[in-house]
Amino acid sequence: MMRRQNTGETFRAKLYEVNWFLVVLLFLVGLVGVVMIFAATDGVWSRGASQHLIRLSLCGVFMIAIALVDIKIWYSMAYPIYILALVLLICVEFFGVSVNGSQRWLDLGIMRLQPSEVMKLAIVMALARYFHDIPQWRVSRVSGLFVALLLIVLPMSLILRQPDLGTALLVAATGFIIIFLAGVNWRIIVTALVSGAVAIPLFFRFGLKEYQRARIATFLDPTRDPTGASYHITQSKIALGSGGVSGKGFMNGTQRQLEYVPENRTDFIFTVIGEEFGLIGSLMTMGLYLAVIGLCLWLSYQCKHVFSRLMILGITTTFVLYIFINLAMVMGLVPVVGVPLPLISYGGTVVMTVMTGFGLVLSAHLHRQNELPKSHV
Amino acid sequence: VRLQSENIDPSVITRRSALLGVGVVGIYGVLASRLYYLQIVKSEDYRTLSDNNRFNFNVTLPSRGRIMDRNGESLAVNRQDYRLILIPEQVQDLDSTLKRVAEILPLQDKTITRIKKDIKENASFVPIMIEDHLDWKTFAALNLKTPDLPGIIPEVGEGRAYPNKGVFAHTLGYVGRANSDDVAKDKDPLLRQPTFRIGKLGVEAAADKILRGKSGKLKVEVNAVGRIVREWPDPKDEAEHGKDVWLTIDADLQKYAAELFEDDSGGITVIDIVTGELRTLLSMPSYDGNLFVSGLTQEDMTRLNSDERRPQYNKVISGGYPPASTFKMTVMLAALESSLINPTDKIFCVGKLRSGNRDFHCWRRKGHGPMDMRNALKHSCDVYFYDLAQIIGMEKIADVGRRLGLGQKFDIGIAGVKTGIMPDPAWKKAKLGAAWRGGDTFNAAIGQGFVLATPLQLAVMTARIANSHNAILPHLIIGENLPEAEKLDIDPNHIAFVQEAMWSVCEEPGGTAYQINGLGIKGLQMAGKTGTGQVRGISASERRERIRKNKELPWKLRDHSIFVGFAPYNSPRFAVSCLVEHGGSGAKRAATISRAILRRALERDGMGPKSEILEPSKTL
Repeated sequence: MMRRQNTGETFRAKLYEVNWFLVVLLFLVGLVGVVMIFAATDGVWSRGASQHLIRLSLCGVFMIAIALVDIKIWYSMAYPIYILALVLLICVEFFGVSVNGSQRWLDLGIMRLQPSEVMKLAIVMALARYFHDIPQWRVSRVSGLFVALLLIVLPMSLILRQPDLGTALLVAATGFIIIFLAGVNWRIIVTALVSGAVAIPLFFRFGLKEYQRARIATFLDPTRDPTGASYHITQSKIALGSGGVSGKGFMNGTQRQLEYVPENRTDFIFTVIGEEFGLIGSLMTMGLYLAVIGLCLWLSYQCKHVFSRLMILGITTTFVLYIFINLAMVMGLVPVVGVPLPLISYGGTVVMTVMTGFGLVLSAHLHRQNELPKSHV
Repeated sequence: VRLQSENIDPSVITRRSALLGVGVVGIYGVLASRLYYLQIVKSEDYRTLSDNNRFNFNVTLPSRGRIMDRNGESLAVNRQDYRLILIPEQVQDLDSTLKRVAEILPLQDKTITRIKKDIKENASFVPIMIEDHLDWKTFAALNLKTPDLPGIIPEVGEGRAYPNKGVFAHTLGYVGRANSDDVAKDKDPLLRQPTFRIGKLGVEAAADKILRGKSGKLKVEVNAVGRIVREWPDPKDEAEHGKDVWLTIDADLQKYAAELFEDDSGGITVIDIVTGELRTLLSMPSYDGNLFVSGLTQEDMTRLNSDERRPQYNKVISGGYPPASTFKMTVMLAALESSLINPTDKIFCVGKLRSGNRDFHCWRRKGHGPMDMRNALKHSCDVYFYDLAQIIGMEKIADVGRRLGLGQKFDIGIAGVKTGIMPDPAWKKAKLGAAWRGGDTFNAAIGQGFVLATPLQLAVMTARIANSHNAILPHLIIGENLPEAEKLDIDPNHIAFVQEAMWSVCEEPGGTAYQINGLGIKGLQMAGKTGTGQVRGISASERRERIRKNKELPWKLRDHSIFVGFAPYNSPRFAVSCLVEHGGSGAKRAATISRAILRRALERDGMGPKSEILEPSKTL
């Protein structure tokens, strides 16, 4: 394998080294989003499709910019970013703006920032750095695990207070999977799973807000409230099911046209794909995602450092969880939680988060052979 | 390349990430099989559900047929009606929705109760009427405000309207909501549509099946809040509109009759003596049928019910009145047929006739002196007819009376036609369980006592006398199959004699109706008979003294004024009967009205002075 020195390379050469295959794949997924938002808004460009395209382009440039930054810088900024995200989450607690009963936003004057989104990436960076730094023997020890769990639980509990169950679970799940990837002992994994199985019912009873409990209850028994919360699920299943193998054709979805599926521009955009392009379209979309995931796994293997590998895998995990939760929700397999379909759903925040994350992935891959400082603990 | 030995071995991460990859593929499998289940296995079911989401079948109401007079004037029509409809299944919170509606359109508690009852009794997709007959301003305001109120729909529908208000109310009847009895009797699904109106009375009820039409279906595409986004009309599912119904009534003639009646109470019938077509069938006072269409207010109801002239009562076909002296032609014909008495035989009237220990008085206290049959009718001498009836007997009189239509029920298509009473000894025995007495015959001889007839029956009686050959049957709805009129089983010569006597009543000095001065059409003459119906028992002393003039009595106790007649005398066209309740003597109110209406009927038939007929402003 050829060794490359990044210090002497020109900017142009470095740009060339970026993994453009991943960039193209991501942009393809984004284009599926543009087309489907266009359909979901009855073919009116200005109601989302054009904005989505602009966001993809701007965030794409931002992604490349992040990719070009040396991995050393990201490594050294992992903890500061995590602490900043934590502070922002605390700020939300006191100065946050309420939207729809949840306090998730910080008004920064020029823009609104959602600190929980920052945290989605910060938790990955912090844990990746933490496991990069500690020696292998501490991974499965209480002393090692305690810090890792603390890194997860602190933001999780703050996000839960907003309340934002979906993001809290996403952050926690990502964190746990990173711990798993770091090679924690199987005995601990089994113990954790068993105690989780015990804790979840308790959490359901005491840890959830009324509306969150209602969502889960309607999910378990959709006939309970046919026009309320389960209406989403029912209509979404009708949209998917009536699409059949090849769908009703582009712009021909009746469920969509007649506005039976609410939020079909955002969280329920997959119903438009399923209704208008059928099973074929649905599987092709999912295949595109699978290609992104597979490529990311492949990129992680090529990295030398624990930090790079875990960061790529962690960000991929976040991406995967987004996709799984959204698809499972739309197909009626899990309760309705406000999780968008990354890069396809309309919405600036998620595009920004995902593209930033992939910027970090690209950076890790681009600087895969670079040396990182080692902390000896 | 190996990392520093004390740090995590990247191969651990490689193995674990491979497991992550396996997990991803596994969950992909779950999601793909779920998609397979939804989009392949259950696809048909979901497609059906999707179509159900998309399409509704709405019942479309047919337009109700019009009711026209003989000349094509509309008596009952459909007008654009602004209304507010509620579709229960689309309403989220009924109380708050109605409250919002009430901000623009005040709703009475009664209305809200009715709406809730309707909602309970109907399927949730059936539209419920909140209020109809809205004015434009309210309707416009509702249109502006309701788009954000799911299930509330301002609609332009068709409502029944009666352009002439009261004049034809009794004949036409009115329409209203189908009640539970209607629904039980008639399985037509239209009746369960809360916005549908069914004929309740009169021709509206009688010809309802013709007027109603058939409901249609309209496939509509609706969005998630139930608003119609597209209609898919199918010609074979269109509503079949009701057919028009034509009446024999001459609207202008009837309106004229109503004018003539002014504020009086009673009934008038004008009938074609050849065909039996009813040109006028009017009961007065009347009511405005439009009030019933939208639901009568308490106020209107009280006003109608408290009026002593009983506006809702269809007097002309349902009111049984003593025919009084208009019955005398029947007695005459019975006498001529019995041959027991010669028409030229004279009976001396001294003002009363003693029977047993009772005195039966003539209306003229001082008596008429010697009277033959013709003069007895001309002067309406009671004593002559007492004597006549006594000789021929009640059975004979009743027999002839029935042939003339008295005590007979005529089916003119609408409900409420009464039979009246043509009494004879058998009737009294059966009905009252008492024997017929001489006094009963005396009373019956002058059309009092047990004899009761409706104004319609009196018109038929007069028409049969005027026709002299056929027992014509009255007829209201054009096109209805009627039994052919039978031959009138009375000697035409006898009828001619009676007709001439009736002519003398109107056209010969001394006749009781001579003062009305005939028809007033040059060359045409009329014939008729007056009647003054007593409504109170008059004591012998009162009659003897004649202390109280009719005018001095309270309205309720005054005599009924009755007149029957036909014209032209030489070749009869129309017969009329007119009864003015408590209108005093027959020679006055009823005769005056009858003369005017006969004259107008003849003019409209082309027999009057040309100037009056050709002026469109007067005839139309």
